[in-house]
Amino acid sequence: MDIDLGPDDLAFQKEVEDFLDSNAYPSGTDYMAWRFGWFSKAAAKGGWDVPKWPVEFGGPGWTPTQHYIWQKAAATRQTPLDLPFGPVMLAPMLMQYGTKEQQERFLPDIRARKVNWCQGYSEPGAGSDLANLKTRAELSADGQHYTVNGTKIWTTAAQMADWMFCLTRTSDDGKKQNGITFLLFPMKQAGVEVKPIITLGGAHTVNMVHITDVKVPVEDRVGEDGKGWSVAKGLLQHERTGIAGISNSIVALEKLKGRAASVKRGTGTLMDDPGFRTKIAELEIDLLATEFTELRSLAAAAAGGAPGPASSILKLKGTDMQQRIQKLTMQAGGLFAAAWGGKKVGPSFARDGMSGYLASRAYTIYGGASEVQKDVIAKNVLGITGSRRSDR
Amino acid sequence: MNFDLTEEQQLVVDSVRRFVKDRYDLEKRGGYMKGKRGFSDANWQSMADLGWLGLAFGEAEGGFGGNQIDVMLVMEEFGKGMVVEPFLASVVLGGGAVKRGGTAALREALLPGVIDGSHQLALAMSEEQSRFDLNDVLTSARDGGDHWIVNGQKSMVQNGGSATHLVVSCRTAGGQFDETGITMLLVDANAEGVTRQSFPTVDGLQAAEIGFKDVRVSKANTLGGVGEGLPLLQAVVNDGILAICAEAVGAMEVLYKDTIEYTQQRIQFDHPLADFQVLQHRMVEMFMETEQCKSMLFRATMEVAGAGAQANRMVHALKALVGKQAIFVGESAVQLHGGMGMTEELRVGHFFKRLLVIDAMFGNTDHHLHKFAA
Repeated sequence: MDIDLGPDDLAFQKEVEDFLDSNAYPSGTDYMAWRFGWFSKAAAKGGWDVPKWPVEFGGPGWTPTQHYIWQKAAATRQTPLDLPFGPVMLAPMLMQYGTKEQQERFLPDIRARKVNWCQGYSEPGAGSDLANLKTRAELSADGQHYTVNGTKIWTTAAQMADWMFCLTRTSDDGKKQNGITFLLFPMKQAGVEVKPIITLGGAHTVNMVHITDVKVPVEDRVGEDGKGWSVAKGLLQHERTGIAGISNSIVALEKLKGRAASVKRGTGTLMDDPGFRTKIAELEIDLLATEFTELRSLAAAAAGGAPGPASSILKLKGTDMQQRIQKLTMQAGGLFAAAWGGKKVGPSFARDGMSGYLASRAYTIYGGASEVQKDVIAKNVLGITGSRRSDR
Repeated sequence: MNFDLTEEQQLVVDSVRRFVKDRYDLEKRGGYMKGKRGFSDANWQSMADLGWLGLAFGEAEGGFGGNQIDVMLVMEEFGKGMVVEPFLASVVLGGGAVKRGGTAALREALLPGVIDGSHQLALAMSEEQSRFDLNDVLTSARDGGDHWIVNGQKSMVQNGGSATHLVVSCRTAGGQFDETGITMLLVDANAEGVTRQSFPTVDGLQAAEIGFKDVRVSKANTLGGVGEGLPLLQAVVNDGILAICAEAVGAMEVLYKDTIEYTQQRIQFDHPLADFQVLQHRMVEMFMETEQCKSMLFRATMEVAGAGAQANRMVHALKALVGKQAIFVGESAVQLHGGMGMTEELRVGHFFKRLLVIDAMFGNTDHHLHKFAA
């Protein structure tokens, strides 16, 4: 064990920082043009556009330390907006379960960020209990295509997605986890209707998606008929690691300290308030530990493939810390955090204080609610058996 | 000691409860918020007609001679519907300041209008730099002979846009943080030199930024002694804290009950969510903390109403406890409702938003913990 970076790592760190600095977004220019350009330059560096992809699919083959260096550097610099659904979540599943033809057809566009994906998982009756899903896919008599009918809910970014990867039910026999089939289909077609859901923070990020008689050729099924649950679960593990956002929280905490130091409190600032300082310190200590939990998880993943059950810890700790940062930011804004509808009063950071906090409450609900995560850890990590649990 | 309500008090509670049941649900409330003043004129008139706006004023002023306990009973029921009419701003805060600090002539001139609802008051005390400190006052009132000349800026004034009169904390002597030298003035909201910008807050209510530029205010409108406004403001704010904490307790009760109902209906893993022990315990905690807040509310309200020696300390304890536990109950309600709790469609999120604002009003939990410990 060694905490110091070696000469190779230091050289890598410099290379990463130089790359990120020299390719920062020039303000006032065409954002999308910059974004596509950024990814193609990152690709030219040897897979920096898809850091987690395996080498055989064009990934960089970084060591855990190199991943860590990249995350740290990227968190404090501007990188292009990038939704995880294609490159982080679907791509590894295509690599593991997809046919060669599917890999060749979908991976290049995912990698170039040309095609946006969304995740058709939750349904009105299938939230924490995802396997309870009812969206039906009927195989045609000639076995050539499925006809899909059902409703998906909480679908993030469906309004801007080109394709959906979708869990469907093809059979009711046996356990609920059996009879689930993983299908891919385009969003821009007559049978797909996207309805916005406005959440408490006032934002439109999630949607309800109605799927009516959508035809999906069998070539667009990932894995076997009825075996989609394995694909779905593998993908969730990738979702849950990404969700922790430790590097971003470290940056957010620094920002919060700066903001608190700008809030006057009597003759001093909010950072002179022992109560507030204590909460910041507690958060910082948790972050220091969690940063290393993530590193240990990365190292394990590098040695053995999938992130494994340790990713459940990261989701729980990571989302808790993100929520605490949002809460302290709201509290730093005082009563000004209550201003709504874009009214410019009080310090500028306070304006979205309550909406940011409200939005953060979803972190412990989506991607597997915290209660379910704890059940997963109890069963898979600790080996505790019991019947009154969500994963029966 | 007893916790029983008098017959009159029980009648008021029943009537407010009926009002909230008949006039308030999420859809109706949304409609009121879209009104010109951000609330329902008809509801406001009903509150006046039913005598609620006069509950806490003396009989000589046309009121019913009640106290903070009567206000608490009303506010707790209002909390169960997230009532948007400015009872707090006009009756408890503005009206309370005039009742406590106004001369007999001023009380006679103004309070009947507060009680019949034709006047609306607002308390303008916060400033951009003041955070939760009542003594941090930069808005100045200069002596102009028979009148004051007011200059400055007040922030986040609840109901400031609809108010006909503003109760304003002004500095008439001393430095920014001095506890003496603050004078409370009643200012005509439409006086020359007053500018108001109204905007919505997260909870669906309205606040305003208010500017004062060489505003002339008659010295007859001075509330309390010149330079001695802070104790008056503190007393009014204490009443305000009691009122919003009562509202919070009402809202918390709705939240834990809604959560129990939802988890009993929502089936996941072939069972109602309420079958899972981890959720049961969370709901038990929501219930426990709501009851604890209610106890603290009774304790603080009775202490203040009886002019007890521990009044300030009890109010700090109440606000510290309610702020913390209201957020706990709100967060828990959203968490246990899952994705649905995150939507505008269910009422839990709306109650949660109101509770967030209640924590931030008149000093949050941290602020009052600090004051309590001091």
